[in-house]
Amino acid sequence: MKRSWTAGILAMILTSMLVLGACSSKESSESSSPSASASESATNPSAPSSAAASSDSDPFGGWVEGLPKIEAPAGFDWKQFAGTTLNVITENTPPSSGLAANIETFEKATGIKVNIEQVNLDVVIEKAGLDFNARNDNYHIIYADPYQILAKQAKHFLDLNTLNNDPSLPHIPGGLEDFIQSQLTADGYMGNKDKLYALPYDNPTMVLAYRKDVFEKYKDQFMKEKGYDWTPGPDMTWDQYYEVAAWINQKVKEGVITEVKYGTGHQAKQHDSLMNDFSNVLASFGGQYFQAQNIGDIGTENPGKSLLNSPEAIAAAEFYNKLLKEAAPGSTSWDWSGLAEAFAAGEIAMAPEWHEFSGTFENPESSKVVGKVGWTILPKGPKGRANMYGGTGVGINKYVPEKDQKAAWLFLIWATSPQTQYKILDVGFTPTRYSVYEMPLLKKAMSDPTSEEAKKLPLASSLTAAQEAWKEGNVYMRPKIPMWPQIDTIVYTELSKMLAGRQSPADTMKEIAKQSDKLTRN
Amino acid sequence: MLLPSMIVLAAVSLFPFFFMIYASFMDYALDMDKPRFAGFDNWKGVLTADTFWESWGRTAVYAGGGLIAQLALGIAVALLLYHIPKFRNLFSTLLMLPLFVAPIVTGLLWRFLLDPTYGLYNWFLQKLGMNVQILGDTAYAMPAVILMDVWEWTPLITIIVLAGLQTVPEEPLEAAEVDGANGWQKVRYILLPMVRRMIVVALLVRSMDILRYVDTITIATEGGPADATKIIGYYLMQVAFRFQDIGGAAALGLTMLIVSTLLGRFFIKVMRSEEA
Amino acid sequence: MAASRRALHTVLYLLLLVILAWGLVPILYMMLSSVKTQVNMFSMPPKLIFQPTFDVYGEMFAGRGDFAEFLTNSVIVALVTTALSLLLGVMGGFALARGNFKREKDISFWIISTRMAPIPAVILPLYLIFSKLGLIGTTTGLVFAYTTFNLPFALWMMSTFFKDVPIDLEEAAMIDGCSKFRAFWRVAVPTAAPGIVATGVLCLMFAWNDYSFASIFTGNGTQTVPIAVSLLVSQSGIKWGQAMATGTVIIMPMVLCGFLVRKYMVRGLSMGAVK
Repeated sequence: MKRSWTAGILAMILTSMLVLGACSSKESSESSSPSASASESATNPSAPSSAAASSDSDPFGGWVEGLPKIEAPAGFDWKQFAGTTLNVITENTPPSSGLAANIETFEKATGIKVNIEQVNLDVVIEKAGLDFNARNDNYHIIYADPYQILAKQAKHFLDLNTLNNDPSLPHIPGGLEDFIQSQLTADGYMGNKDKLYALPYDNPTMVLAYRKDVFEKYKDQFMKEKGYDWTPGPDMTWDQYYEVAAWINQKVKEGVITEVKYGTGHQAKQHDSLMNDFSNVLASFGGQYFQAQNIGDIGTENPGKSLLNSPEAIAAAEFYNKLLKEAAPGSTSWDWSGLAEAFAAGEIAMAPEWHEFSGTFENPESSKVVGKVGWTILPKGPKGRANMYGGTGVGINKYVPEKDQKAAWLFLIWATSPQTQYKILDVGFTPTRYSVYEMPLLKKAMSDPTSEEAKKLPLASSLTAAQEAWKEGNVYMRPKIPMWPQIDTIVYTELSKMLAGRQSPADTMKEIAKQSDKLTRN
Repeated sequence: MLLPSMIVLAAVSLFPFFFMIYASFMDYALDMDKPRFAGFDNWKGVLTADTFWESWGRTAVYAGGGLIAQLALGIAVALLLYHIPKFRNLFSTLLMLPLFVAPIVTGLLWRFLLDPTYGLYNWFLQKLGMNVQILGDTAYAMPAVILMDVWEWTPLITIIVLAGLQTVPEEPLEAAEVDGANGWQKVRYILLPMVRRMIVVALLVRSMDILRYVDTITIATEGGPADATKIIGYYLMQVAFRFQDIGGAAALGLTMLIVSTLLGRFFIKVMRSEEA
Repeated sequence: MAASRRALHTVLYLLLLVILAWGLVPILYMMLSSVKTQVNMFSMPPKLIFQPTFDVYGEMFAGRGDFAEFLTNSVIVALVTTALSLLLGVMGGFALARGNFKREKDISFWIISTRMAPIPAVILPLYLIFSKLGLIGTTTGLVFAYTTFNLPFALWMMSTFFKDVPIDLEEAAMIDGCSKFRAFWRVAVPTAAPGIVATGVLCLMFAWNDYSFASIFTGNGTQTVPIAVSLLVSQSGIKWGQAMATGTVIIMPMVLCGFLVRKYMVRGLSMGAVK
């Protein structure tokens, strides 16, 4: 009797779970198709022109006048690798979801099956590391974060030059010159330019988000009290930024400003984000992490001694510490998404933030500040300006068989091609190619954020600032060295201690320098 | 009949164990495929790092605080449930719910509740005049992650102890009543001693897991702020995955294994002395 | 006397309500938030009256990553793991309880100690084994990993339960002509059934909720629900609506399960530990 009772219960659980599973799978198949097709037709700006422009050498379609074409050697059989399966591992960033949504285009044209596995960056790092070390070929195409993956694992990536120079294969449309050059250097190479390991894939960059409404409304009052135009822009200095933030806080306390709660917000959690936020200040004060030259672009195996003992670095740390005392108190618990949420909730007047969040801010579902957000490059310091670049490339695992390498190459060509980049703009993607920015759609959207064109581009409001930030003298690229994950951890951990009042800014810099030198054996 | 289990266990526990010992003496830094013999370098590196000892210190606070809090609360709730005349099943069923929440969801959920911008609990605290950023403040972050663990796992202790209480025979209780014992004395001298073994079982299971599970901390604080919640398990994750320092991770993992084993031995010894 | 007892009970119920609030408010708030738009979700003071939206649930099953697939994987992995752990655990536990081992205490301690190994440290060696066997990215690999983690626990629990089943019953059955195996199957197992259920639920919970193993050993198409949760935390922000909805969906089967077998769990757990 007792036994049948138990068995009955177990059976019930089993059935209930199966029913649950069954219901859900049914629901998915019903609801997935309409939304997918809807998004395709509604957000594909190039759909009408694609049919006319398709040529023999380009089986993908979607090419638009003005973009470099995908071209193959005469008689190239795009279907020669049909039946191959490619596994892609990538962080869940905008291009990944954009490519995943359009993957049929590639699969139909080549007969290659593609599995795009989208995971967190931590998991990409773990899995890529494990795969490489076991010399496995579980993944053919790998999201190669320049600092956390490429710098350490470069020797496990295939040299893409050999494929690009292979006369029997298609080449990168528009050539390597069409990629934003500083990004190609950072994403593609390691140590020297002999071998090309990856092609630029995404490029989030830190710029300044501010509340246009607040800055317009109180402009005159600030002018009267402080004597200068406070609108954030290329002329703003970090000292002014601090003054403005403190002034807003003061006026909020007095009950004058009610639109926001705090002057500035920061991504100062004990997290990678804190290193990013601090680096902008550090570099603009003339501070550097290490001695080695070219450490930010091509990268190096040996960074040399830490330079954080320098007076510039200490001055930067002192300023950052002072600035964070005026920041929204939640800052020490926010990474970039926590900061973005607070900004979207209308609490903060200014924040150094990744430009990709403009999509969040302009989406009425997630934001109370739609249409009120302005973007510009970060303030300048005594020794220049720095906007942290956080982009990544995609590369091919060296240990996959040669045939699969070629199939993977076709995928890379398609995935980073101008026409594909143009097609996936709607997911909040930021092109890594010059040619795409030359298109009328982008030009119009970037110059007029209220235009119809801008509505098709979730990131329209911040792209101009991002482009400005990539210019030489404005962009900052962190050290590209194999031990960067450890250095990064030391930097943000010690900074977090500084912000918690555990140690002075000078001691913090000295401590980071000491630990870094121990780690790099310098 | 034991054999299949033993083979499976041996295969998947002995190999990792010996691998850990081997790896802890190898240097993987230059070439992970061809490690070089490193002598005691990894051990020296691990044992001389301040972070290592600090993390163990915080682990003691986290595990000690968490275990004591959930044990006290769990026993208290079990006694409450034992003493109420009606709705015992309803209450105990509802109270079990947090146990079923995946640790990763627990971390995310509590981060949501404590968020400075839109957190429900943060809002309550502000209404009470406490303007603090729980997860961003070194003084509050550790208590907060301890509370998360307590929230999730107290129900386990409750059901285990309640299970024990329900089997306590009536006679000694009636005898005590005749002798004029009050409610507290009955709890103290009859009920608690009779469920001591249950408590040790619960402690054994929880002490093993509290050292190992870091899903909640990973998602809620990532060890911060200022390392305030970096317990040894999280530190190991960093060394193993973020730094991909296999040798160091192996040495670190072995120290954890040793501590867990000693703790386990201790509790089992206590349990067996109860049996005797 | 009766009055004071009633007063006492009132206090006890009040205390329980407080505890209940502590335990349930987060879960109820999660469920409530899952049917709010993000703007409503972020409004403080919390909105209790609002236009509910089930959009996120729709998105979950329609968007990329296909949530139904995650769910199916989770169900399969959790059930197979539990079945396997119970099968091996019940047999092994019985043998451990009845057999005459010289060093039974050491063996049982060794068994439980295999569960103490820190997860990040064992992942690498397991990864090496699995990649040799071609199990990376497969459901089988994950089932294997979970079984090895659940098995020590199951063995240990079951051996305690079987020790409490009076041996006389089996002996009586064997005198009646049952084989040893039939005595085990017909007498010992049914008597220990509540313990088996309790153990099963705990095994199920581990397999259902684990993130660490799943993040490494699964691949495209074999990912489980906790992975789906982790994917909602991305570089471009946390999808709170979906996170709340996924959180709600993921506890439902466990809650259901818990409700159904709670009685058995209490009885099972008490069997094991009280003489």
